[in-house]
Amino acid sequence: MGRKPQKNDSLPGSLDMLILRTLSLRDLHGYGIVQFIQQSSGNELLVEEGSLYPALQRLELNGWIDGAWGVTPNNRRARIYTITAAGRQQLDVETRQYAKLTLAIARVMGAG
Amino acid sequence: MDPLRRLKYWLENGKRSAALREEMELHLAEKAEELQTNGMAPDRARAEARRRFGNVGLKYEESREIWVTRFLSELGQDIRYGLRTMAANKAFTGLAVLSLALGIGANTTIFSFMESILLRSLPVADPESLVVLNWHSLAPRDANKQSAHVMHGLQGMAWPGDKGSIATGMFPYGAFELIRAENSVFSTVFGYFNGLNRTLAVRGQASGAATEYVTGEYFRGLGVSPAAGRLIDSNDDRAGAAPAAVISYATSQRRFGGPADAVGQPILVDNVPFTVIGVAPPEFFGVDPAAAPDLYLPLRSNLLVEGAHAARMYPDDNFYWIEMMGRLRPGVTTAQAQATLASQFHQWVAATAKTDRERANLPALMLNPGAAGLGGLRRQYSKPLYVLLAMVALILAIACANIANLLLARAAARRREMAVRLSLGAGRLRVVRQLLTESVMLAMLGGALGVLFAVWGVQALTVLLSNGRENFTLHAELDWNVLGVSAAISVLCGLLFGLIPAMQSTRPDVLPALKNGREGGQGRRAQQLLAVAQIAMSFLLLFAAGLFVRTLDKLHSVQLGYARENILLFSLNARQAGHRDPEIAAFYNDLRKRFESIPGVRAATLSQSSIINAPRTGQAVRGPMKIGAINIEGAQALAAGPGFLTTMQIPILAGREIDDRDQPGSLPVAVISERLARTYFENENPVGRRITLPDEKRDVEIVGVAANLRYGGLKNEEESAMTVFVAATQFPPDRVTYALRTAGDPLGYVNRAREIVREADSRVPVTNVVTQAAEIDRTISRELMFAKLCTGFAILALLTACVGLYGTMSYSVARQAGEIGIRMALGAQRGTVVWMVLRRVLLLAAVGLAISVPAALGASRLVKSLLFGTQPNDPGTLALAGFVLVTAALLAGYAPARRASRIDPLAALRQE
Repeated sequence: MGRKPQKNDSLPGSLDMLILRTLSLRDLHGYGIVQFIQQSSGNELLVEEGSLYPALQRLELNGWIDGAWGVTPNNRRARIYTITAAGRQQLDVETRQYAKLTLAIARVMGAG
Repeated sequence: MDPLRRLKYWLENGKRSAALREEMELHLAEKAEELQTNGMAPDRARAEARRRFGNVGLKYEESREIWVTRFLSELGQDIRYGLRTMAANKAFTGLAVLSLALGIGANTTIFSFMESILLRSLPVADPESLVVLNWHSLAPRDANKQSAHVMHGLQGMAWPGDKGSIATGMFPYGAFELIRAENSVFSTVFGYFNGLNRTLAVRGQASGAATEYVTGEYFRGLGVSPAAGRLIDSNDDRAGAAPAAVISYATSQRRFGGPADAVGQPILVDNVPFTVIGVAPPEFFGVDPAAAPDLYLPLRSNLLVEGAHAARMYPDDNFYWIEMMGRLRPGVTTAQAQATLASQFHQWVAATAKTDRERANLPALMLNPGAAGLGGLRRQYSKPLYVLLAMVALILAIACANIANLLLARAAARRREMAVRLSLGAGRLRVVRQLLTESVMLAMLGGALGVLFAVWGVQALTVLLSNGRENFTLHAELDWNVLGVSAAISVLCGLLFGLIPAMQSTRPDVLPALKNGREGGQGRRAQQLLAVAQIAMSFLLLFAAGLFVRTLDKLHSVQLGYARENILLFSLNARQAGHRDPEIAAFYNDLRKRFESIPGVRAATLSQSSIINAPRTGQAVRGPMKIGAINIEGAQALAAGPGFLTTMQIPILAGREIDDRDQPGSLPVAVISERLARTYFENENPVGRRITLPDEKRDVEIVGVAANLRYGGLKNEEESAMTVFVAATQFPPDRVTYALRTAGDPLGYVNRAREIVREADSRVPVTNVVTQAAEIDRTISRELMFAKLCTGFAILALLTACVGLYGTMSYSVARQAGEIGIRMALGAQRGTVVWMVLRRVLLLAAVGLAISVPAALGASRLVKSLLFGTQPNDPGTLALAGFVLVTAALLAGYAPARRASRIDPLAALRQE
């Protein structure tokens, strides 16, 4: 495991967006979400695993995702999360905000 | 955020916590597996998985907090905000809370009475399996008043059933033995009968004691355990058994200082020695919620106490006197038991019929639920209580309408605030929820205060209902059932009156509100609708109050024919203390003379009972009364002492009244009432004529004629018909009631009278001390209660409705300030403006009345049986109620109208 992957605490709130984005591609359980983010970021982003669960509860309470008991690819009983219509809207909002934010940061960095 | 979902999560807390834990465990297991496949040792892999996860417990708590705490913290926010709003509008809060408190207090009070009278079970083991045995048949007397019934005599109460039938719980002893022997449906059958008031002497101190005779199975059948000693069993209930008595817990405390000190003590019951073998538990009051015996005696001991009369009761299959209850065997239904027993009883009772006419109308057995005890109190009070409940429900509805109205007005004022909050992104539901929290808080405050009012209300109503009776046993209390219902009512009210204004003020069309801070016509219509509803409901209560006050007025204006004021009544029973004929007559008469010598007592006399209660104490003479060969129909005989007519201020029309000349040995005499004289002697002078008493085997000579008087109760016309006064010395009653006509308050002479009795014989207790006026009022206690309560309710309703009307009109005047200003600027006079507002008030009142008058006429028919001398559609009462209502409405509308007429046109227009 050569280089230490970066923890994603540089952008507060981005964990919600990453979860929504992941679930917009496929339905997954908690551990699956962590693995997906890690893999699709080319091991650059390491989700703080413990923080995943409060985030999932928050998203579910807001009605953005739905959790239901199902079976993982390894045949284990787990809560599988699905994104809702409201969740997709929220993902759009957050994606736009994120784009604005990164653009702004890029401008600042470019100007420097 | 959706508050409902949050509430759901919060409620599902346990389930969700478990799911969360399982999810986290799975995560750790999967991570460990992955690390293992990468070549890590299992132990290390598990530890590494935990390390990377972070603090498992902390994350678990953090996750749970999301649904647990946020709900509570938002609720806390709402409550704090609500408290701030309430504190900022003290007048509004005070008014709302007070009117709700009155409404909820009244409801709680009436409901606690309903609970104790109609719903509460006997405090015995498994009350649900108890059944009461009753029977019903057609009335024992036919149209010609000829008796044709197997029941030749009845000791106890019968009540009217449907279509002229009668029902009662009294049976001959033979029927009790029959039912007791049939043990396929009942595990126990027990009997009892009311032993009335006996003289109980403890260590030489005598007082009255309500007595119940019970069979040996009674306490075992009810499943009651003693507070001390043991209870009556089958061995005590045999002829010749050692006389044993059980006393109530209260009596043990009052007379012995406690249950333990009472057991084994000797007592005298009507001068017959008994031994206290035990004390009943404190909560036990027998099987009749309307009674609370002080003393329980074995059934057969009535042979000792009542003597020959009692001995005749047992073998007589046509004399009905014992009551019974049974406990159903497990699995047996009331219907099955009824089927089994009814046919057996029918056979038995058919054999007791003496003639074919008796056989044609046999009693039919019926089993009634016994869980709540005997139904006398329920029969007497259930209808009045339902009527009262309907009234207090109306009051609460008026109060709710009032608060909804005030909230609507305020919602209009807060509409800008709401619009701002909504446009800033607050969810509508979040805002509605916050408004509802406010109104439920108001309601809870009102409910809490209402319970305080109810504590007071229950006491006041108990006093009203008991109306001075010493042995009043109905004790309503605020138990958890009642408090639960009040709390539920409060919350429901809060939701009810809060929801419409909350929906109104958060309607999504926020733009107009943001523009000018004015709302459309919908809120106003809702307000006017509420005002009309309040007026309509107040009118119902006003009309009811009018009817009941009129009923009371009619009862009070009934001509008695004797003195009502300044008379003191009290009763003695010297026979129960051991006095016998002929000495007892001298004892009573001597006392009468000593009462008469009390300074301030103008006259003293005695009789078998007070005049108003006389029909209930029975006839002073046995059998029919005849003049020559003619039967006197419908006459009442009252045993009276010397000076009775003078003391009661009944005019003597001819001859003389009964006086000291009439002694046991002298010629028996009678004084008859004018109506009797007119009916049977027409224009002849009856003085010197005779009335024959075949069953007494003697005649009485008529010595005088008295003016007519109302004999018995105020409501029964028949009871007032014809009266024969006979001399108490010649037809001595066991118990006598003394009447003292006094100067000033009669109750001021009670102590002196008690002293005189104590000096004469301390074994004789003085009972039923009461003024004549109160004794008469007791017979109309229900009407008194209704008149007083309804008047109170109507005033309450009217005040609340007026406050509502005032609020509505004030608000509408404030809203129309601009318009009124323009009118005034264009030359409208102040009077015109006042009239403009008042016209609207009148319109509201008219609409309210138009709805309410038909409703009132329909509803009043339901209370017909509670009225006396008043028709349910009494036009005078209707007109008066309408007049009061319209006057009150105009008064409530006048202040806003005046304010409208004082509007400064310039200022109003500038605001516009």
